[in-house]
Amino acid sequence: MKRITVIIICFLGVAPLLSKAQYIVKQASVKISGVVVTPLEIKLDDLNQFKQTQVVRKDRDGNDHTYSGVLLADLLLKAGVTMGKDLRGENLTKYVLVEASDGYQVVFALAELDKGFTDRTIILADMIDGKPLAPSDGPFRIIVQDEKKPARCIKQVTGIKILFAK
Amino acid sequence: MNNKKRRILRFYYRSKKRWSKSYAIFILIILTVGLSGWSLFADTDAIETGPYKFIYPANFGNRISVPDDNPTTKQGVYLGRTLFYEKKLSATNTISCASCHKQERAFTDDKAFSKGIDNVPTSRNAMSLTNLLWTRKFFWDGRSASLEEQAVFPLTNLHEMGQSLDNSAQKLRNTPQYPALFKLVYGDDAITGDRIIKAIAQFERTLISCNSRYDQYLKNTYQPTERELKGMALFMTGPDPEKGIRGANCVHCHGGTKNYMEFFHNNGLDSIPADAGIESITGLSSDRGRFKAPTLRNIALTAPYMHDGRFETLEQVVDHYSEHIKQSPSLSTFLIGESNERGGTSLKLRPEEKKELIAFLNMLTDSTFITDKRFSDPNKLTTNCKLTTK
Repeated sequence: MKRITVIIICFLGVAPLLSKAQYIVKQASVKISGVVVTPLEIKLDDLNQFKQTQVVRKDRDGNDHTYSGVLLADLLLKAGVTMGKDLRGENLTKYVLVEASDGYQVVFALAELDKGFTDRTIILADMIDGKPLAPSDGPFRIIVQDEKKPARCIKQVTGIKILFAK
Repeated sequence: MNNKKRRILRFYYRSKKRWSKSYAIFILIILTVGLSGWSLFADTDAIETGPYKFIYPANFGNRISVPDDNPTTKQGVYLGRTLFYEKKLSATNTISCASCHKQERAFTDDKAFSKGIDNVPTSRNAMSLTNLLWTRKFFWDGRSASLEEQAVFPLTNLHEMGQSLDNSAQKLRNTPQYPALFKLVYGDDAITGDRIIKAIAQFERTLISCNSRYDQYLKNTYQPTERELKGMALFMTGPDPEKGIRGANCVHCHGGTKNYMEFFHNNGLDSIPADAGIESITGLSSDRGRFKAPTLRNIALTAPYMHDGRFETLEQVVDHYSEHIKQSPSLSTFLIGESNERGGTSLKLRPEEKKELIAFLNMLTDSTFITDKRFSDPNKLTTNCKLTTK
């Protein structure tokens, strides 16, 4: 009995340290917030729940690469953003502000992400040529199909905010 | 007139002269004491009131941040400025915000780490207070989202000003001048920590620097020297040794008219950083050694440089980017292989190019900003001004 008590006390003593250790090796995530029904925090494993999509585009090295990930529109739909038949009227004044861990920000009009408006695919990618993105690019990167400049293929994405233009 | 009469008259006039001189000195003393006393006890009627209009060049853009619950007013800015220079806000009555943010140094001090009330050095270098109206993330690690939030740290940190906001409010309540000032700004004379912070934030938003030679160049009123122009070209251009294009690409993080873009980067100072930077907030190893890329406004005045003040001169800073970028897993992408030499890991600038770059950095000094009376100690200013007015 005494031994069990000692073990329990030891465990209680170690437990806070364990949680601290978990904090230190925190996983990267993308927070979806703003004008949404359900704010989401997407981690790498969560991407598996969604249909996988591939986009081929040139990177700065001049070569074609195959990026795979999830349609941004599918993630927004999951968060309850007005896509598809709801993307009309004042909802067309909504925009998507994407932020990277270094503070870099880019904007998409919400309609740019909707299949009803365009066939151009915009994904939140986590893989390049079948491998995880390099740490300096990932773990999450937006890939915009066919866009000439890579400036909106924002790397190290940490947040996606849906907002109304005022 | 006989001699005796003349002597009496001379004596009379001389003593009269002496008396009038003494009178004049006496009146001057009374005036001096009276005027400084007047400024000390703040005759609030003399303070301008009404909404404060920010004046800045159109090319600075309108992406400014003023919280809805703290609109900027002239009286609020005046109170904030007074509080910025108020030593009573420190536990020992010896330190004000201005102790580490001196106007003549573009609101920095000349120390790697500043010392607070207990002489314990701060953990990071005091940042320049310039064009904060456009800033959204404060501190080297961007942890505060507003000036209001930011101001709480130095005021209450035990190693900085070391006093709770409640204590500060209490001290100000016991002064002759502050209750009336707070009433003028907030409608009643309640003094609270929240109101102290809001006023300081209002003042800080007015610290706009927009009259450097670079601004004048953008307005076509200054013709840069040959060396400055070459430095500007290096500043604005990314190196591409394959195409024979030489550059320093400073613009990547310090671009735009305000020389500030609010980015956070690991700029290769150490392979194993002693200070984890924003990793200590996010817990992500990719954020290790990442700090704010600060504004380069008035950079020639704000030595020493970097979050830990490790570089004393601009020459050392340029040498760092030119020769000493340290590789690490969290080194920012844009610095990987950024070089004027094929396969180089640092910029590899020529000695003359370094001088050109520094000539351009000196163009960012705004001498009117550091002498602007609107930003200086209001108590000192009132006294000096009144007595030196011609």
